[in-house]
Amino acid sequence: MKSVFSLILLVVLGAGVVFTLSSIPFGSTSSDVGEYYIDSGRADTGATNIVTSVVVGYRAFDTLGEVTVLFVAAIGLGAILAAGRENEEKKKAEWEPASLVLYTGCRFLFPLILLFGAYVFIHGHLTPGGGFQGGAVIASAFLMVYLGCRKKRISRTWARNTESISGLVFVVTGLTGLAVGGHYFLSNFLPEGTLNTLFSAGIIPIIYIAIGLKVGSELTGVIDDLIEESE
Amino acid sequence: MVNPVLLIAVPLGLAFMVPLIDSASRKLTRFVPVAALLFNLILCIRLIPAVLENPIVINLGGFTPPFGINLFVGPLGLLFAGLISLAGLVVSIYSLSYIKNGPVVKYHMLYMLLLTGATGVVLTGDLFNLFVFFEILCISSYALVAYHGDRAGIESSIKYLIQGTVGSGLLLIGIGFIYGIFGTLNMADIAMKIATVEQSTLFVPMILMVAGLGVESAIFPLNAWLPDAHSSAPSSISAILSGIAIEVGLYAVARIVFTVFGISDIYLFFAFLGILTLLIGEMCAFAQSNIKRMLAYSSIGQIGLILFALALATNNTVTGGLFQLVNHTFSKGLLFLSAGYMIYRSGSMEISSLNGMGKRMPLTSLAFTVGAFSLVGLPPFAGFPGKFLIVSGALLKGEMVINILVGLVLLSTVIEGTYFFRVIQALYFKDGNGEQRKQAPATAVTAMIALMILIVALGVYPKFLADFLSSASSDLLDKMSYVGSVLK
Repeated sequence: MKSVFSLILLVVLGAGVVFTLSSIPFGSTSSDVGEYYIDSGRADTGATNIVTSVVVGYRAFDTLGEVTVLFVAAIGLGAILAAGRENEEKKKAEWEPASLVLYTGCRFLFPLILLFGAYVFIHGHLTPGGGFQGGAVIASAFLMVYLGCRKKRISRTWARNTESISGLVFVVTGLTGLAVGGHYFLSNFLPEGTLNTLFSAGIIPIIYIAIGLKVGSELTGVIDDLIEESE
Repeated sequence: MVNPVLLIAVPLGLAFMVPLIDSASRKLTRFVPVAALLFNLILCIRLIPAVLENPIVINLGGFTPPFGINLFVGPLGLLFAGLISLAGLVVSIYSLSYIKNGPVVKYHMLYMLLLTGATGVVLTGDLFNLFVFFEILCISSYALVAYHGDRAGIESSIKYLIQGTVGSGLLLIGIGFIYGIFGTLNMADIAMKIATVEQSTLFVPMILMVAGLGVESAIFPLNAWLPDAHSSAPSSISAILSGIAIEVGLYAVARIVFTVFGISDIYLFFAFLGILTLLIGEMCAFAQSNIKRMLAYSSIGQIGLILFALALATNNTVTGGLFQLVNHTFSKGLLFLSAGYMIYRSGSMEISSLNGMGKRMPLTSLAFTVGAFSLVGLPPFAGFPGKFLIVSGALLKGEMVINILVGLVLLSTVIEGTYFFRVIQALYFKDGNGEQRKQAPATAVTAMIALMILIVALGVYPKFLADFLSSASSDLLDKMSYVGSVLK
């Protein structure tokens, strides 16, 4: 009975979704807002990557929110693990040391991955990529060290301070825009520079570097929390 | 003029700063939420005159809507923002002594972020931005429900997480459809274009969005997570979840149904849903022997009543519904805060273990009684004008169906009265084990006294708030002026 009811509900919902989708034109330029972004994105924000001009230009406030969502998730995870740890006895497991090849390989690759991650977020306004992607690449370098070199750990104070300071840089950049640049929160108060050069697009690179560092240290913190939990 | 974006930016910046503040001085950390919310409260009060004149529209980043994101600070948004700061401030004072164990620094950060998310939801004028802030609100509440790290907390947090995430997913799919149909995410822009498309294509997106938000706002049948989550969270968090989080969910439902879609054919459906939620909530509350579960089910009932009042969509009933909402925030907050210390003292959540509390903790028991009386709707407390406005406004409509529904509202009030009086009887008229008299700490007492004063003041001078609520209700119902003030 229950499954019949679920099936009927699914069919009705599916039919509704198909009906709605059939009225949405795909592949054509139906959106005025989208057209506007493509036409004036470069002129308005100075970023050649149009996705960046939307994410950190027109909708920068959303991005501040999304950074916060990740922040909340990371702290929430940390809080629950810490609370759970208080309630139960801890048993230490012995780790088998990694082989020499793995150890050396990780140490060799680690700085290169960091460099690539930094490249991705520093050039977010010029090439595909940005703060979130670059941050994830950086965190993957730390994950590799955690898995490959076994005993190496990051300093939690260092990671936490990076996280806080870069979050603060984002908010303060926004507030500076409110104070000096045209009286809007998150408005651009720096010169836009020449298109296609590293020092262009006003506050966008600053925000993307802050996001990159924040996401990188946050995800590394999550990895650290989870690995500590699994020990 | 002060810029309303500070209501979001300042608590957010302070929340980011908490780890730095904590490494500078351990003692300072717990005062950060108090400072942030005090700042917000003062800002909200300063904004009142300007907002009553004209809604404030803030274009973020300097891009005009619909291309950029805008904040819309009308009387309704300001009412919610003020309520969030006030209730948040009182509860953060209570938490100063209540939260002692566990990851305290993370508690204060999550607490501030929860309230920042809630403020963002009520102030934003952009659908996707609403989703983002909604996620901040939801994720921080999942984590705070499991704060004690005990089995019950983690289990209910996971239940909440699963249902909430499915809800958020539905909301996001609905927003995706809307963006596909209209090519814009700005609420005013969508509201303006809503009549230009076939109405039947809007049905699925609307159902998805309302169902998604309905999970957080605990509308029947999407509220299975609530009793567990609200009862196993720390009491300070229960007060915020019951007093702020579900109300903000309801705000989002109302904003989307009234302003974005504005399809009046379905209002009656919501009125029925409200009554159903009310009756089920109150009847379940009646059957509980655990005090926090009883309060949690009573929150479901109250949300049903407020939904019913909003769905009738006249100025009187919406004003009444908002009055009841303000009352619910204060009195349910007071009930959870006072219950928190009574549970702490008796060591059990069973109502029978509270016997004779009236002698052992007189002030806390008095606070519980004031909260209960106000929620039931007795004069001279804040619950009376709210319920009176709802009932009289509904009867003014003069429709047979609605008169029957009003009868059910009155019936549910009787049920509500019965189970609250049962607790009050246990507090004052039953003998407990003769323990020493010992009050709650000073910070908790301050918080409870502040809420009691607010409840009595609103009950004695309802006109003061009702005038403001009346403009808030026209803010909600008058779709055209909303569109007009955003897209000048």
